[in-house]
Amino acid sequence: MEIWITAIIYGLATSGILFLVSLALSIGYGLMRVVNMEAMLYYSFGAYVTYTIISVTGSFILGALGGMVVGAGLGLIVETQLLRKIYDRPMMFTMVVTFGVFMIGIGIIQFVWGLEPKPVASPISAIVKIFGGVQIPAYRLLIIVVAIAAYILIQLMMNRTIIGKALRAGIDNRENVEGLGVNINKIFTITFIVASAFAGLGGALNAPLVMVGPYMGFDMLLLAFITVILGGLGSIKGTMVAALILGQVINVGGTLWAPLAFVGPFIVMFFTILIRPTGLFGKEI
Amino acid sequence: MNKRILSILGPVIIIVLMIIFRYIFPNKITFLTEVVIFSIYVMGNNVLMGYLGYTSFGQPFYLSTGAYSAAIYFAYFGGNIFMAMLVAVIVGFLLSLVLAPGLMRLKSSYFTLINAALCAIGVFVFERLLIDITNGNDGLWFRGNMTATPFLDVRYPKNFFFFVLLILLIALYLYQKMDKSALGISMKATKANPEKMTFIGYNVFLIRSIGYSISIMMSALAGALYAINFGFVNPSLGENTRAIEVLLATLIGGVGSVFGPFFGALGFLGMKDIVSSFMSRWEFVVGIITIVVLFKFNRGIWGLIQDGAGLLQSRKKREKTVKVEE
Repeated sequence: MEIWITAIIYGLATSGILFLVSLALSIGYGLMRVVNMEAMLYYSFGAYVTYTIISVTGSFILGALGGMVVGAGLGLIVETQLLRKIYDRPMMFTMVVTFGVFMIGIGIIQFVWGLEPKPVASPISAIVKIFGGVQIPAYRLLIIVVAIAAYILIQLMMNRTIIGKALRAGIDNRENVEGLGVNINKIFTITFIVASAFAGLGGALNAPLVMVGPYMGFDMLLLAFITVILGGLGSIKGTMVAALILGQVINVGGTLWAPLAFVGPFIVMFFTILIRPTGLFGKEI
Repeated sequence: MNKRILSILGPVIIIVLMIIFRYIFPNKITFLTEVVIFSIYVMGNNVLMGYLGYTSFGQPFYLSTGAYSAAIYFAYFGGNIFMAMLVAVIVGFLLSLVLAPGLMRLKSSYFTLINAALCAIGVFVFERLLIDITNGNDGLWFRGNMTATPFLDVRYPKNFFFFVLLILLIALYLYQKMDKSALGISMKATKANPEKMTFIGYNVFLIRSIGYSISIMMSALAGALYAINFGFVNPSLGENTRAIEVLLATLIGGVGSVFGPFFGALGFLGMKDIVSSFMSRWEFVVGIITIVVLFKFNRGIWGLIQDGAGLLQSRKKREKTVKVEE
């Protein structure tokens, strides 16, 4: 019994990471109709910067902040210099271009940090006992809390602030909102930076759980894509639900039969798309 | 006129180029064989990308399916090389029959990603599920089981090179036929405007399914040739990370052209060979080349060759008109 509770809690932590990382993809598609495959660069750069700051200063909080800042900065550069120029190109074109950027980023990581994977020590080694004796590392609980906070923040931003309202209007009818005197490009950029910062934070939080290596973004890219596709492209609520499902598939499924941890998400996505081609919460495009 | 000359010259240039390379670099024969096989694989992807407008991140899955069907045939059933190739193509055809009804109804971006999922499932099937048959990660070795073929014993690398070159020539001939046929034109029309094609009365779904089937069968054939070339297969042939190679080669060669895939394969593998000789990792260079190709040379190497030929001809024309005016 204990093993299942552990698996479920671990699954929630995985869901948290998946949600943070997939947000950039989901928002990139929802706002600009661009499949930005380079989004995983923010994740891997966030993890690497966290590693560097921790090995210099020893503070995880500073490291995570640094990861967020670097993710946001990269998002700013990529959005203003590249994505804005290719919004109206066909989907295939943007996919391959952003994949090219992703490859360049992997190359830069290899030049700067080398090829060997780097270990990052867990900042909180405490173990919490819940439900009468089930031992859970406190760090995993922290990830769950951070992810919930991120979800609430992004929903508040979308629904309660003027930026979010202008943004949602801009997605529906761009010309009309511009006609009202709103600088829609600026709002897109701000939203994109927020999403990139969350991806950087995801990398920082995931760094102690996995080895930080040049190809970590590659492994995460597919999982993030499955999350976004399963939830429906462009839906933040859908991304959250899909992340919750996938976290459980990976961890509970992996406990049932080890290979399911690798192939389970793909099988779930494959059949979901065949039955419901727009994903769980997606609209017809 | 110009196009017709190029379409006749295309195969001649390719064959002559390969044979010249064969004798200039005699110790690079495995590399050249790989170029020829890879160009068949790229031609398969070009049907999807250039004719139907679908980008697939799952071509390695079809490649490894072909390779494994050939390998399983060699390891358990017989040693005839032609039979192995036939088996691979038939398995590819059956696979496309199973998958086409589901996949051909999807939008392009979903198609791309569901293919990536297929890739991961494929690696899982060959590595874990069929481990008793495929030996999992150790790979399936069968070089000893292949029997000699008449006239040209293709078990030797030197002969195998000419054998794959012959297959490429046949494939190019059929590909050119397809390009000019009603099928090729209706595929390109479907890519440009599916609604209008439906309105005129064509069955868009059927056209797409046929194209998809051709693409998978070509990939499976290339997979079988890979298997015969190496004498063994392992699951890494079908890994997701290799999906970008074939896309890039298609882009470099020129999307939607008949001879582009060959030049793309030659350009991509040549570049990889040169870059990896002075750099252990080549992602950085490949990324930059992708972006430059996409923004500056979006018609690829074959587009450049066509432009060059067109330039020559227009100069001749201009000279003629000048004379007439005088």
